[in-house]
Amino acid sequence: MNQIPLSHILFVSTALFFIGMYGLFTRRNMITMLMAVELILNSVNINFIAFNKYLYPEKLEGVFFSLFIIAIAAAEAAVAIAIIINLYRNLHSIDVEAADEMKF
Amino acid sequence: MNASAVVFYILSAFILATGLLAVTSRKIFRTAIWLLFSLTGVAGLYFWLGMQFIAAVQVVVYVGGIVVLIIFSIFLTQQSGKDLPSPLRRRTVFSALAACIGFALTCLLLSRYSSFRVKESDYDFAPDMSISAIGNQLLSTSEHGYVLPFEVISILLLAAMIGCIVIAMKSKPGDK
Amino acid sequence: MLSIENITHSIDVWLYGTFNPTAALLLESLIVGLCAITLFAVLGLVLVLMERKVSAYMQIRLGPNRVGPGGALQTVADTLKLAMKEGLTPDGADKFLFNLAPFMVIVVAMLILVPVAFAKGTQIWDINIGVLYISAVSSLSVIGILMAGWASNNKYSLLGAMRSGAQIVSYELSAGLSIISIVTLTGSLRISDIIDSQQDGWWLFKGHIPAMISFVIFIIAVTAETNRAPFDLAEAESELTAGFHTEYSGMKFALFFLAEYVNIFIVCAIAATLFLGGWMPLHIGHWTAFNHAMDYIPSSLWFIGKTFFLIFVIMWFRWTFPRLRIDQLLSLEWKYLLPLSLFNLLLMTLISIKGWHF
Repeated sequence: MNQIPLSHILFVSTALFFIGMYGLFTRRNMITMLMAVELILNSVNINFIAFNKYLYPEKLEGVFFSLFIIAIAAAEAAVAIAIIINLYRNLHSIDVEAADEMKF
Repeated sequence: MNASAVVFYILSAFILATGLLAVTSRKIFRTAIWLLFSLTGVAGLYFWLGMQFIAAVQVVVYVGGIVVLIIFSIFLTQQSGKDLPSPLRRRTVFSALAACIGFALTCLLLSRYSSFRVKESDYDFAPDMSISAIGNQLLSTSEHGYVLPFEVISILLLAAMIGCIVIAMKSKPGDK
Repeated sequence: MLSIENITHSIDVWLYGTFNPTAALLLESLIVGLCAITLFAVLGLVLVLMERKVSAYMQIRLGPNRVGPGGALQTVADTLKLAMKEGLTPDGADKFLFNLAPFMVIVVAMLILVPVAFAKGTQIWDINIGVLYISAVSSLSVIGILMAGWASNNKYSLLGAMRSGAQIVSYELSAGLSIISIVTLTGSLRISDIIDSQQDGWWLFKGHIPAMISFVIFIIAVTAETNRAPFDLAEAESELTAGFHTEYSGMKFALFFLAEYVNIFIVCAIAATLFLGGWMPLHIGHWTAFNHAMDYIPSSLWFIGKTFFLIFVIMWFRWTFPRLRIDQLLSLEWKYLLPLSLFNLLLMTLISIKGWHF
């Protein structure tokens, strides 16, 4: 593990972040946008774990932050799916551009 | 370059390739499967870093929970055998440009400030003890304890659960 | 004395003595992989025959009795027949995912095998998060089923996959809580620690009533998780033809079939490890003479005996209970088993804090 410099892991997480950002920009289907958000959250988690392991290996703070991020991501995904199901019920489409009315 | 380094580069390539496929594939179910592989690759990266607990949590929550949830919502809202509409050319180009420029900028910053004070330590907290250490610190009320955020997260999860049920509940016919 | 532990140890020593560490590790992984595949093949042959014989016995008939002595080679003949058949891929299917799904199911089953202790000192990797790893990887198996259901582009498959997904995701909770109730007693997630803690008696007996309740809940939950009757809604023949594997034929169908039986073996092995002491012989407290007498039976025989007894119990269920409806299945989990196992976990925590267990 010590063979790999920390910056290589950071390059990977940065690339994952921008891949997720590209997906968020191009996609217009709500489910695929949610997936892009999950990729972004994961790239942040990689950073937390890598910093914890490389810079402060005797502490556990990075582990806790990523645990909390994972928990919040689960809650966020559940709420997003509930919204998607409700949107589909009302509009019969989950394209974000179909939801252009303020009131159903 | 030893075996560990080779494993790291293979894992990274796997994560990035499947992640890229997840945001570009036109078949929505394949998108979910590529996302699944990417998240599993991230769990593998945590394994490689010696954080088995986080890797297992990643697999349980992301792969067993979130991806299954996403697949269920695909089942409920999409039709099998139908492709997603391709995004506008203009939007694709500008998004790719934005992502590339952002990546280049961040890489520039990284290469300029990458003189981290890396501690030369191999497995300082013994992998065996880390789980009980995590548990003890997570629920301790002392100075470095995380019991308050833990409780806040549990309330947040409860609120999210109730919120999901209320949002997704079918309103009864004459209820409006 | 010749035991599996000595054999594996001498192979390990020889490999590391002959080759450099990286090559030795690679060779060991290769050997382990080959062993796992062989184990899968043998398990498939044995368990299918056992299922047919058990069901024949339950229904007072003979079962397969033509091929080989007493029908012992029937499954070999069946496998040969399946291998000869054409593996069809339907025209409207997503071909890539359709062909990936059976392999995904098998690979996941192979991954769960990693921390299982087959005999004293015989374990592929004694990983420190043992049971958490098992519950994490077993949650992956649903993905293969969902993939098969969607990629077939068939309404029966999709319905079967959705039912199976809902079922596995909900019953995973009860199974996980039962596992946690044993973890509260042992204080460790590592499989070898869990087995060592049963030196003076199995948890099923040492943990009083709560351990028995969680054992029963675990058996019910894993029966549902492996899509076995009476919870076989995912492939209910009378309503969905064959559920998620309606469109599969030939060897790809055989892989799904094999995965089902291998999964039964694995969950029974885990139940035996957690509640019945794994390879640990039947020890009772301080009865030294009795314990020594029990030690003469090899540990691998203990493990296989316990596992096959539990497999027999699960096969027994199939011919005893009628199939549930999907709403009954979900209300059984969410309204009865989940509250019960949560309450049981509290009780178990109280027992382990107070030290009331033996």
